[in-house]
Amino acid sequence: MFTAFDKVFTPENILYLAKGALISLLIAAVSLVLGLILGILGSTAKRSKYRIFRIIGNVYVEVIRGTPMLLQILLLFSVVPSLYTALTGDILRINTYVIGAIAMSINSGAYSTELIRSGINGVDKGQWEACETLGLSHWQTMKMVVLPQAFKIIIPPVISEFITLIKDSSLISCIGAVELLKGAQVIGAKYFDVMSPYCVAAIFYLIMTLSVSYLGRYIERKLAASD
Amino acid sequence: MIKLEHITKNFKNLKAVDDVSLEIKKGEIVCLIGPSGSGKSTVLRCINGLEVPESGDVYIYDQKLDLNGEDKGRQLRNKMGFVFQHFNLFPNMTVLENLTLAPIQVMKKSKSEAEEIACQYLKRVGLLDKKDEYPNKLSGGQKQRVAIARSLCMNPEIMLFDEPTSALDPEMVIEVLEVMQELAQEGMTMVVVTHEMGFARTVADRVIFLEDGKIIEENNAEDFFSQPKTQRAQDFLKKVMH
Repeated sequence: MFTAFDKVFTPENILYLAKGALISLLIAAVSLVLGLILGILGSTAKRSKYRIFRIIGNVYVEVIRGTPMLLQILLLFSVVPSLYTALTGDILRINTYVIGAIAMSINSGAYSTELIRSGINGVDKGQWEACETLGLSHWQTMKMVVLPQAFKIIIPPVISEFITLIKDSSLISCIGAVELLKGAQVIGAKYFDVMSPYCVAAIFYLIMTLSVSYLGRYIERKLAASD
Repeated sequence: MIKLEHITKNFKNLKAVDDVSLEIKKGEIVCLIGPSGSGKSTVLRCINGLEVPESGDVYIYDQKLDLNGEDKGRQLRNKMGFVFQHFNLFPNMTVLENLTLAPIQVMKKSKSEAEEIACQYLKRVGLLDKKDEYPNKLSGGQKQRVAIARSLCMNPEIMLFDEPTSALDPEMVIEVLEVMQELAQEGMTMVVVTHEMGFARTVADRVIFLEDGKIIEENNAEDFFSQPKTQRAQDFLKKVMH
């Protein structure tokens, strides 16, 4: 089964997989950050007093949450170039990593929308009232008082989302991006043994997810100090 | 200074405030008392627009409080400080930041000016040494004194208190009442929803007794406590004065 185990464990191959892991981590981190920004916009839309924004927010969340991420990545990968060609007549050479990160950001944004919304709802109503009586505007209240408290509430689920994104970054291998999983496949094809590089990849994934998990617990402990 | 005209407020099927009218003059200290659910807190919340009455009007300085009218309504509201039963300090900020947030953001004061004023008020409530602490490090009584100082930083002309001592341990009550008493002596217009009958009797100019959303009795404090006119007020006082 592990016919090429010792061959796979050369410094070059390990370095190659480590690079793949770094790409996975980077794609996940970018998607998390952009997703959180989309989440702030999405949750604002869902809480808007205007019906149209609420509808946009709801449609965004339901459509993205209700379809597979793999499909979203594939769709974006095919839609963007054809749209570009239709508009400009030129052929677009797209960067698969960028497309992958964008697709994952849009996907993560839908989950972040719900996360942030629940975080905002989790802040005591009395905080809004106190700000109201002090004359602060809705946005000042949101920015200075509610969001900082909401973020504290949502740190554990945001950490979970980050871990999910690290693992889901493997999906962008289907559009040709060479991240950790694809890297393992490349090495596997080279030595006619996929098992060994897959196992190494699994270890890399675990190192990343466990580190993030640990980091999350550390942040939680730090923040709990002011409770 | 404050005038309520026939205000009514319902929560679902419950009539929380039922056709209440009252007038409060500048410098007057009025206590709203009554059993739980009598609508006294709702009346207080209507005064500064935290609750909007379904019918009836609220006037501050003879101007109608209309918070849909944005700026003017907001300016009227800014003349009033509000102290909550559960303090509602901002847990993500230090005591000093709690006090300076609104002066900086709303009154556009400079940070140093806001801090100077905040320190003056903290000194007055005896908590200057706590200025860099977070609220979670304070006792209930200290939190409420910070909350009062926070309201005072906005330079209000009217202070509204919603059961300011109800969430406190008994031994903390006095320190908050003392701060309120000092404010009263300085001539601040105050409306206080309270269960502290001793405070109402000694500090209030006037006591308003509510039940089921209606004003049952209204009198100066001494007469109200020594010879209540209505049977309901007599029964209520018998239960709470012991």
